Amino acid sequence: MDLKEKLIILSDSAKYDASCSSSGSTRKNDKDGIGSAAACGICHSFASDGRCISLLKILMTNCCIFDCKYCINRRSNDVKRAIFTPEEICEITINFYKRNYIEGLFLSSGIIKSPDYTMEKLIETVYLLRNKYHFNGYIHCKAIPGASESLLKKLASLVDRISANIEMPTENGLKLLAPDKDTNKIDKIMKTVKENRNRNFAPAGQSTQMIIGASKETDLDILSKSSSLYNTYNLKRVFYSAYVPVNSDKLLPSIKMPPLVRENRLYQADWLLRYYNFKVNDLLDSNNPNFNILLDPKTDWALRHLEEYPKEINKASYYDLLRVPGIGPTSAKKIVSSRKYFTITFDDLKKMNVSLKKAKYFILCNGKYFAENKSLRKETITTSLLLENKESTDGLKQLSLFE
Amino acid sequence: MRNVYLYDGSFSSLLYLVVTLLHSSLTPADIKSYEEYQANLLDNAISIKLIEDEIIYKSYLNKLSSKVMHIVYYVYLSSNERKELVIYYFIKNALKYKDEIIYRRNLNCVNEALKLSKYVGSENHKFKGFLRFKELDNGLYYAEVTPNNNIISLLAIHFKDRLRNESFLIKDKKRNIYALKDESKIYYLNDKDIEKLNINLSDNEKDIEELWKTFFKTIAIKERKNKKAQMNFMPKRYWKDMIEMEEEYENSDKR
Ligand code: SF4
Repeated sequence: MDLKEKLIILSDSAKYDASCSSSGSTRKNDKDGIGSAAACGICHSFASDGRCISLLKILMTNCCIFDCKYCINRRSNDVKRAIFTPEEICEITINFYKRNYIEGLFLSSGIIKSPDYTMEKLIETVYLLRNKYHFNGYIHCKAIPGASESLLKKLASLVDRISANIEMPTENGLKLLAPDKDTNKIDKIMKTVKENRNRNFAPAGQSTQMIIGASKETDLDILSKSSSLYNTYNLKRVFYSAYVPVNSDKLLPSIKMPPLVRENRLYQADWLLRYYNFKVNDLLDSNNPNFNILLDPKTDWALRHLEEYPKEINKASYYDLLRVPGIGPTSAKKIVSSRKYFTITFDDLKKMNVSLKKAKYFILCNGKYFAENKSLRKETITTSLLLENKESTDGLKQLSLFE
Repeated sequence: MRNVYLYDGSFSSLLYLVVTLLHSSLTPADIKSYEEYQANLLDNAISIKLIEDEIIYKSYLNKLSSKVMHIVYYVYLSSNERKELVIYYFIKNALKYKDEIIYRRNLNCVNEALKLSKYVGSENHKFKGFLRFKELDNGLYYAEVTPNNNIISLLAIHFKDRLRNESFLIKDKKRNIYALKDESKIYYLNDKDIEKLNINLSDNEKDIEELWKTFFKTIAIKERKNKKAQMNFMPKRYWKDMIEMEEEYENSDKR
């Protein structure tokens, strides 16, 4: 099998992992080395599905002794299998890196022979890349659940980021769809990484991924899981990957298209947890366990709390500003640092590049509201937001097409 | 008559000119480099004699924080035709408001300076990702870019650190200028310095490009196809210098 065919098989089977980021590490180049890591992450291209390409995302092999229901590489599937040698992976990585196609390598693998054996092979590859090829660029590697702790530590000391995918938000979900996997083993990896993390041990931290829409869990289940992962293991990111129906199985939902709008809502809510000081309970509860498909979670929240609005831009606290739809940390910081020096008007907000599309319904600038009538009703705002907001009308179209 | 002050286009002489104007209480209607200036009947084009005393420059420029100087430098790299005037007013106000200046977005010059410098910064960031090198048969790594702003020096510094053992040449096709990195030095050249550039690809270059194009196609999930998002993040103007997009660029209407 030639290199090109291997690359097709082993990138095709790696593409469902949503992780792409190359941020959070500031690995420096050394004298004879090649590469460095940029703290803010760099996108090198965008695929035709609109996703960023930052890393060479491949599997070492798509052979696997496990049989996870949702996975294209599962043992029981009749697909072409391939294995990269460590040298092949290094050569492609270095050649791509020198031409500035990529920021580094994202290496994952199906499980061959045993978790330990697979892990040893991954370590061999990454070791070679770091020490023979003197590669100082970004490496993200998957840890294989069930491999020994000493191997995990060895791998983590060579890479920038390490991750183990939780896949399903509840233990039952995982038992049902990934009978060979075990939540405890994944927890163990996360715990070890958290306890040992430092400059030379997974400096860019760890991340994980959940598949959305392959099992019955609600958005509340998913987001609660994320929140507890962030708190317990200091994860850098939880990625959400809308389930792409690759297999048919009576345990899997029969959908034709991945639930992209839902995935997007979860990402938005995830940001609200990490950067906007929101708690899961602010957004969802058992009476209301799934996100509104038509409105983003923050706008939805604000509309349910209209009594708190409009907020005066020149007085509201930083955290109150963050809760205004359309205002993010960058805008909120600009507002707070500027208003010491002058009174902010609607015009000034425009100059500061603060998007008013959503925000205008929820703010006052120096006592002024954007419209004559200061107490707009919920229905009025919702309707105008839906009409103005391309994103939700696109969402509507997708809905009617796919669900 | 409009008083238009001329300078040689370099960053240092722009700074010296701005200080000279401020020190002599002269208000420019515009500031232009010799190269870009087009004579005009309404203008009074002036090549002013710059102040010679270093101490005077220091007394102005040392008052500007590194944050402010960073913004000034990035505005200088911008392709905006008002950039020199923006710099003049920005520096003038920075001397008055000190570091507070960057929060005073209600002042037009501050707002414009921040926008231009942000644009230069974000274009630089984009090209750090989108620039593509090709390996030539003499071992040189060669890239062509067409940036809106004059960011070749920023790019050269970025890649110098990454590709320590390689020599590379980056060409800005819009300005016909080059950055050559050899050993640990960067040289800036123009068409006159480069008599003839032989672009002969190394033996396995085509194979590697083919591998990359293959990867690029395979990694997209077809059930998630979203050309609009792709175009949003990576507008068409970058495509012609990107190996994986060349073909699509050729087949598209090239607006
Ligand atoms: S362990 Fe499960 S998810 Fe991973 S490759 Fe094997 S079958 Fe797929």
